[in-house]
Amino acid sequence: MDRTIHVHHLSMTYRVPVRQEGLGAALRSLIHRSYRELAAVDAVSFDLFAGEIVGFIGPNGAGKTTTLKMLSGILHPTGGDADILGFQPWKRQPAFLRRIAIIRGSQPIGGPVELTVMDSLRLQQLIYDVDDRAFKRNLGQLNAMLDLRTLLDRQIRALSLGERMRCGLALNLIYRPEVLFLDEPTIGMDASVVETTRQFIAAYCQETAATVLLTSHYMADVERLCRRVILMDKGTVRYDGDLRTLSERLSPYKILRVSLVGAKALDLSSFGEVDEAENGTYDIRVGRRDVPSVTARLLADFPVTDLAVLEPPLDRVIDRAYRTGVA
Amino acid sequence: MTRSLRLIGIYAHRTFLEWMTWRGFLVTLVLGQCVTPVLGFAVWSAALPDASNLSTYYISLLVVQLMTVFQLDHTLANPIYRGTLSHQLVRPHSPILGTLGTCFAERLWFVIIGAPVVGLLVFLSNVPLVVANVLLALPALALAMVVRFLFTLALALTAFWTQQAHGIVAFGATLTFLIGGSAVPILYFPDPLRSVAESSPFSAMLGLPAAIASGSLNRDQVVMGYAWQAVWLAVFLIVTVVVWRSGVRRFTAVGG
Ligand SMILES: Nc1ncnc2c1ncn2[C@@H]1O[C@H](COP(=O)(O)OP(=O)(O)OP(=O)(O)O)[C@@H](O)[C@H]1O
Ligand SMILES: [Mg+2]
Repeated sequence: MDRTIHVHHLSMTYRVPVRQEGLGAALRSLIHRSYRELAAVDAVSFDLFAGEIVGFIGPNGAGKTTTLKMLSGILHPTGGDADILGFQPWKRQPAFLRRIAIIRGSQPIGGPVELTVMDSLRLQQLIYDVDDRAFKRNLGQLNAMLDLRTLLDRQIRALSLGERMRCGLALNLIYRPEVLFLDEPTIGMDASVVETTRQFIAAYCQETAATVLLTSHYMADVERLCRRVILMDKGTVRYDGDLRTLSERLSPYKILRVSLVGAKALDLSSFGEVDEAENGTYDIRVGRRDVPSVTARLLADFPVTDLAVLEPPLDRVIDRAYRTGVA
Repeated sequence: MTRSLRLIGIYAHRTFLEWMTWRGFLVTLVLGQCVTPVLGFAVWSAALPDASNLSTYYISLLVVQLMTVFQLDHTLANPIYRGTLSHQLVRPHSPILGTLGTCFAERLWFVIIGAPVVGLLVFLSNVPLVVANVLLALPALALAMVVRFLFTLALALTAFWTQQAHGIVAFGATLTFLIGGSAVPILYFPDPLRSVAESSPFSAMLGLPAAIASGSLNRDQVVMGYAWQAVWLAVFLIVTVVVWRSGVRRFTAVGG
């Protein structure tokens, strides 16, 4: 497989001005500013192969956005190297910038907000040299997937957050970038728009074989789109691999969902911690190794009508991992 | 090159359309720029009613002012402060093309809104316009535009380092007003000051084209004026390129 992104010991240390509280300190800082070094990204290495969609997760302040900014050329790293499609990103060569896109959920649209969406798309067409036929074809597809019809003649300034994101996606994908950096693309969207957006990203990648690094705090995004995740914490990569394996590693237990005959409340706590109990259906946390024996005992001792072994919900696993620190 | 020119044209076109929304604001902006030359015109033609070329001078100065003033502290410094410059950095061309396009759009708006004011003054004053002088002044006007653009750009780019870019640009405008021949025509400066002002960039950016157009300069002075414009153009070009490069380097070093 082709290696699209190669990141080697990439580091970013910010110099942040600091000062003590109080007026005296404020005055002193006028003459002598003091700084603290903040290692936002610390010797991060990973590779992405063509067509991969990789989830880039980690708690707030882990260094995800900083990494994406370096990989898209907005930030010059303080150490390490990166190679994307044969280019060093922060040289910002036009031939490189034409083939990548960074889309940030917090500010999906960078151009002038007074223009209509269609005007902005045309502007992108000219900036990125998209010929008319490709433009029409791409627009047709984006239109079908993102339902832009009612938005094309609207001014960007008056769009809602979710509408802006849809347009941001369209504006950045109209030139068919091969590498996509998506920084929290579903932030602030309602449930159904989130789902369409996920479908859209999946469809776009299938269609174009784009390579994607996707940041999100919604584990559902990651579960839906990514088989592989890179987990960052405090500037370093803590895990890089299969999502399933991560969840197994982070949570030493599984969920046994059993339904019993009759709605009478039963005490099943001897089998494991009962997470939820409702209408005769119980979610019991069971250590991975104990699953077979517990299942056997349950089936033997209780009138079980249904039984399923589930992975614990990913967001809860991840949430716990973030809070206790990722080993 | 042609691609860059096309992109500048496109940005100019889009910005022009975009600013339609702000036409009311633009009118006040342009009229604000007209105030001092018009005031100079009124005051000086009352004070020295016989010096007819002073009226011509101030009308020309109004034209020069309208053609050379750039609001780069808004159009460039603000995106730097807001961090939205990062969107321009990831486009496959230099961000300066967008800035240039914006400046052309700005120019067009200034011409559209300012032309009636100029026309009205010409009509009211009935001043003699010598076509040869006006033609001689046109290249100086173009050079003044470029020099003042570079000058203002260098000042606005201080936004990469300080929060004071608006103040710094305003200070540059004040100096231009005082020394460039707007407050008082440079010809009326007392002597040692006068030759300093004549060789300063402020004359090159503002007073010179107006002085040429009003026929206030002899041949040698015109030649010297052009020479100084060339010098300042070269100086500011170098300064601006250096400031721009190190500014972008800093922007991409501190967080984008
Ligand atoms: N421009 C900057 N100057 C100084 N420090 C910064 C800058 N940008 C980010 N940081 C710091 O670097 C660290 C990493 O920030 P970053 O934005 O990369 O985190 P993140 O993983 O994207 O977090 P989040 O999930 O909250 O978006 C944080 O501690 C942040 O405070
Ligand atoms: Mg972030």
